[in-house]
Amino acid sequence: MSGYWARRTGSALLVLGLVLVLNFVLFRMMPGDPVASIIDPNFSPEAKARLSEVYGLDRPLPVQFLRYVRSTLTFDFGISFLTGRPVVEELKSRLPNTVMLLGTSLVLSSLIGTWLGMKAALKRGSLLEKCVLWSGALSFSFPSFFVQLVLLMAFAAALPLFPLRGTLSVPPPAGGLPLLLDYLWHMALPVFSLVLLGFGGWALYVRNLMVKILGEDFILLARARGLPERNIILGHAFRTLLPPLLTIFLLSLPGIVSGAVITETVFSLHGVGRFLLEAVTGHDYPAAGASFFLLALLTVSCNLLSDLLYGLTDPRVRMERGGGR
Amino acid sequence: MKGLLKRWSFWCLLVLAALALFGTRLFDALPEAEVAAPFSKPLWLDRSLPPTMDLELSGGHPAAELDWVFGAPSRFSLRVETALPAPSRFVEWTIPGGKTFRLTPLNRGVELDGRDIAFKRSLGLPPFGDASSALFPERGTYRIGLSGEGEWEGSVKIRLEGGRWGLLGTDQRGRDIAALFVAGIRVSLLVGIFATLLATFLGTSLGLAAGYRGGWTDAVIMRAVDLLLSIPLLPILMALAALWGKGLWQLILILSVFSWMGTARTVRALTLTLRDAQYIEDLRGLGAPAGYILRRHLLPETLPVLLATMTLGVPGAILSEAGLSFLGLSDPRVISWGRMLHEAQSFGAFTAGAWWMLLPPGLGIALLCLVFLDLGKYLEERVDPRLRGGNVL
Amino acid sequence: MRKSLFALFLSAVLLALCSAPRAEASFDPEAFAGPKIQDLYLVIIRDPDAQLLALDRGKVDILGDLHRPVDVDALSKNPAVDLSLASGFHGFFLGFNVRTFPWNSLELRRSAWQALPRERMVRDLFAGYAEPLATFLPPVSPYFEPDVTAYPHDPEAARKRLAGAGWTWGSDGVLVSPDGRKIPPQKLLCPTASTAPTTAEIAVRMAEALTAIGIPVQAEPMDFSTMISRLDERDFQMYVLAWQMTRDPDSLYAFYSSKMDIRGGYNMPGISDPALDEVLDRLRFAPDETAARAAASEAQKLLSDLVPVVPVYSRYTISAVSKQWKGTLVTDRVTADNTWSLLAMEPASGPMRPLYLVQADEPRALNPFTSSSAYDWQVLGLIYDSLIAVDPYTLETIPWLAESWTIGTEAGPAGPRTVLTFRLREGVEWHDGKPLTAADAAFTYETLKKNAVPRYFDNVDNIDTVETPDDRTLKVTMKNVSFWHLHRVGGISILPRHVIEKVNDWRSWLPASEKHPSDPGLTGIVGTGPFVFREYRPGEYVRLSGNERFWLGRKR
Repeated sequence: MSGYWARRTGSALLVLGLVLVLNFVLFRMMPGDPVASIIDPNFSPEAKARLSEVYGLDRPLPVQFLRYVRSTLTFDFGISFLTGRPVVEELKSRLPNTVMLLGTSLVLSSLIGTWLGMKAALKRGSLLEKCVLWSGALSFSFPSFFVQLVLLMAFAAALPLFPLRGTLSVPPPAGGLPLLLDYLWHMALPVFSLVLLGFGGWALYVRNLMVKILGEDFILLARARGLPERNIILGHAFRTLLPPLLTIFLLSLPGIVSGAVITETVFSLHGVGRFLLEAVTGHDYPAAGASFFLLALLTVSCNLLSDLLYGLTDPRVRMERGGGR
Repeated sequence: MKGLLKRWSFWCLLVLAALALFGTRLFDALPEAEVAAPFSKPLWLDRSLPPTMDLELSGGHPAAELDWVFGAPSRFSLRVETALPAPSRFVEWTIPGGKTFRLTPLNRGVELDGRDIAFKRSLGLPPFGDASSALFPERGTYRIGLSGEGEWEGSVKIRLEGGRWGLLGTDQRGRDIAALFVAGIRVSLLVGIFATLLATFLGTSLGLAAGYRGGWTDAVIMRAVDLLLSIPLLPILMALAALWGKGLWQLILILSVFSWMGTARTVRALTLTLRDAQYIEDLRGLGAPAGYILRRHLLPETLPVLLATMTLGVPGAILSEAGLSFLGLSDPRVISWGRMLHEAQSFGAFTAGAWWMLLPPGLGIALLCLVFLDLGKYLEERVDPRLRGGNVL
Repeated sequence: MRKSLFALFLSAVLLALCSAPRAEASFDPEAFAGPKIQDLYLVIIRDPDAQLLALDRGKVDILGDLHRPVDVDALSKNPAVDLSLASGFHGFFLGFNVRTFPWNSLELRRSAWQALPRERMVRDLFAGYAEPLATFLPPVSPYFEPDVTAYPHDPEAARKRLAGAGWTWGSDGVLVSPDGRKIPPQKLLCPTASTAPTTAEIAVRMAEALTAIGIPVQAEPMDFSTMISRLDERDFQMYVLAWQMTRDPDSLYAFYSSKMDIRGGYNMPGISDPALDEVLDRLRFAPDETAARAAASEAQKLLSDLVPVVPVYSRYTISAVSKQWKGTLVTDRVTADNTWSLLAMEPASGPMRPLYLVQADEPRALNPFTSSSAYDWQVLGLIYDSLIAVDPYTLETIPWLAESWTIGTEAGPAGPRTVLTFRLREGVEWHDGKPLTAADAAFTYETLKKNAVPRYFDNVDNIDTVETPDDRTLKVTMKNVSFWHLHRVGGISILPRHVIEKVNDWRSWLPASEKHPSDPGLTGIVGTGPFVFREYRPGEYVRLSGNERFWLGRKR
């Protein structure tokens, strides 16, 4: 078995290495550098040359690549071109908001979705099941930014119930509880929109999975043995549900980062997603490279974790996959 | 097949496809053309706004009176066309109550508009807002005329724009939203279908190769799958769009390059199981070349699954394109629904209260996705009967 | 009847007197005193809709720069808000590659100027909120020369001019030069519509207008830095570019002198005219104001004849202030959120309360050495002072940290050179209480020069030596003679020596996150200005407090 782990881990590291190279190449290929965009009659040719020197853009490419690898592996990430501050500082100030946003919405939508999905699987053909099926389809089909824009227009612009932007009021209230409440009030609409868009998919997936599980032989056996329904559901069925559910939870983590980009743009939140968008459009190599690398790290880790989890819990899989994926 | 005809999504798709192909003929102008004032409301929305009117004064008809029963027009523009200028004569505008404004002398090539700050200053108005609200302060009788007496060869053309247009109004550049909406169907369908087709083609070929050949081919392809799956989709799309994305076909290419992995895995799994089937072994024993086996036997086995996955993949492509366009990363010359939403948000639909700009594109995207989801479900059911029953879509 | 007419007349006169900008009356900075506001919040709101809503709901009081016409129109109908319009030094130009055919033809360039429908473009793309520009310096420039050659919009006249110069039209409508060369299709480089939508649209319209008189032009949108590289490599035919000029006209040298037709230089058209070069040299190295004015005037006249580029429009800056505040200073050259306003503003009624100003984007590093974005300087400009300031009505130089100065010329080893002697004010204190001396200014200039800090490169490059004969006198000896040295040197923000000398690496210095060694309410950002930096909360706001010890207007 250790061979399997070693193979998977080795594979993950290889992928990370390739991502590093891809990162560097991609952003160097992007047309133009930040110095070239400075058009200011007060910036003489000499001043521009000096700026290029300061940014280290006049060094040859291999040197730049080595610097890049070294700084990435030490999580140094360099200094952002756009803000002049270290990228780590920028990420530090933005990470809490993004984690809060994505974490809360993921937890809430998975909990609500799982509960609804289970209920729907148990009551086949009911109105609840129909609603769950429709909500799954709708939450997938409606583009997230559209739902968010509509919510914003309705509940922040037309009816001033929620703030239109940001994570805190200006000035923020002093003290622990009022500050927390202010923060929650600002996060309410973004989180609500993400949960609204997310729970449908979960509910649908859980319902389908639950339907399959409930049709399995071991459930029939348990029923035949006369075990109480509640035990069957919460005990056997749910326990079987858990591993794939956890796997999906882990696998969906990297995906919702894309959701962060859009949500943070619509609600003007100070987060990592919007930082990434600005870095990419602003040719800010250090910032964009750092964000990409971290995202890739997150994705690879989640994939690895979910693979390991899957391998742990389902012995059939391990046997089948003896030849490597 | 009969089951297909019974599904609402099939008919919906037909209507949308028809609109995509022939819809632009319903409109006089091109979708990009400016047809009316920006942020004009739909015709059915606000009855107090005046209709668009054209007036003409000439030497023979030097004056006109208007019985105005509406609110102020959204735009006022005036043009003087003459070969013989008469600078001592003016166009005069009288509002109810008697106050008269001198708009312009009758010079050659005069073009005035309520938005020109120079014009507003000449009337003594502050430079903000459109002059038409000052020129039409209330309901009543208005008079426009040429001062002075005598013959004059030429004409003064005045245009009053109402601020209403069409089925869905206009956007921030005065383009007909209904026309843009119809044009957007084409883009969404193109992107959705072609990106998925390309991705399926890529995924199938690579999956077949990996599954059938095994060994190094398999290892390399699966590494590539892992690599591409580790790259978060939206960020890489953002970077590539910023790099190359100017153009619809580049976008389709980029989208397909990042969506073939799932298909490849499924096809490879299927190929692996089928590869060791008895009849395939027999064929190999008889000396059939790999290409023949793949084409004639393995591929047809995968087709039903492929069709279903493909149909379910279309909404994904449409949503990815919409997301990119919304973030502003798509080609602005390509009219897509995501782009319409981006422009609505950036150019002030909120401030102008123009909800008619926001709802149609979003609902359109959702509708198209639902249509393909439903069709995909139908195809999936045909392939895998276990999923039938209790399914209402 | 007569009484009411008289009353009307009187009130009209009074109104006229009150509302006209007091260009003739002199502006007295000494009439101002330290800020009345105690707390100033620069609220970071990037989304224009959110900015407007915040202003509407009273969450912010000043919105300094409205971009979208729809916002201006919406606010013009809002009775609780005052709008003001300021002309600026922004200039948008259509450029040609004057080195090659067909743009080496003067008459063709002049006809192109006449073919452009400026008013219509401004009207359609900015809803009228921009100024059609027909001169090489904007009208608000103190050196503006009105008596220049004009080319009003008239496509017919353009055609006549071309015909008169010997051009003909082919059967496909394309112009053919007098010596029989047909104009090949021209590409007009412009930024993409995603980065600059209005610019891309203007380019398309200009291409259409020029094609209509026979010049086949097509807009070619491209990534901005790629475009600049193409311009640098002189690989272009036509382009559009916007500049932010300053009140000093010596930027004309950077744009139109043939010496600036080098890599990284801004003479992209490649105009090379000996008479123009001579005038621009005189402008750049003008010894005094008279010479500067004469040279500027001549330069503009020559440029309007030579037409190396065609000016198109200049942006207005429109700002909005809530009527709940009074004391705002508004002129047609500065926006409502200028320093003078912030010094004098107070609530129209009720007790003093914090003032909320909109900042349209995050300040970046808040490092006076490296910060180049306007968002940083919106903050830093309130904290640091320079030796001179600018009159908001006339744009002339007025004393600031320096209460007086002399400009002399002395003979030097390499020729005559300018000597600037500044006399600093008495009693100016840094925000941490230490007194300002000439040594601070000297140290600032020397540090910038020693480290070749890019942003100040051109300001300090020409400084030869800096001396401080006493605590209040600063003597700066330049390397050559130029009237503009005063502005270049006098406009640098003075930094505190006792803080800067402890900074190891000016590149990575983040003063906003550093604690001040002795004062817990301060950070590494210490200045002498009217506001004191207190806090920066990324994504939310920057908090400043009024400087109670501000030197302006203090009675002793």
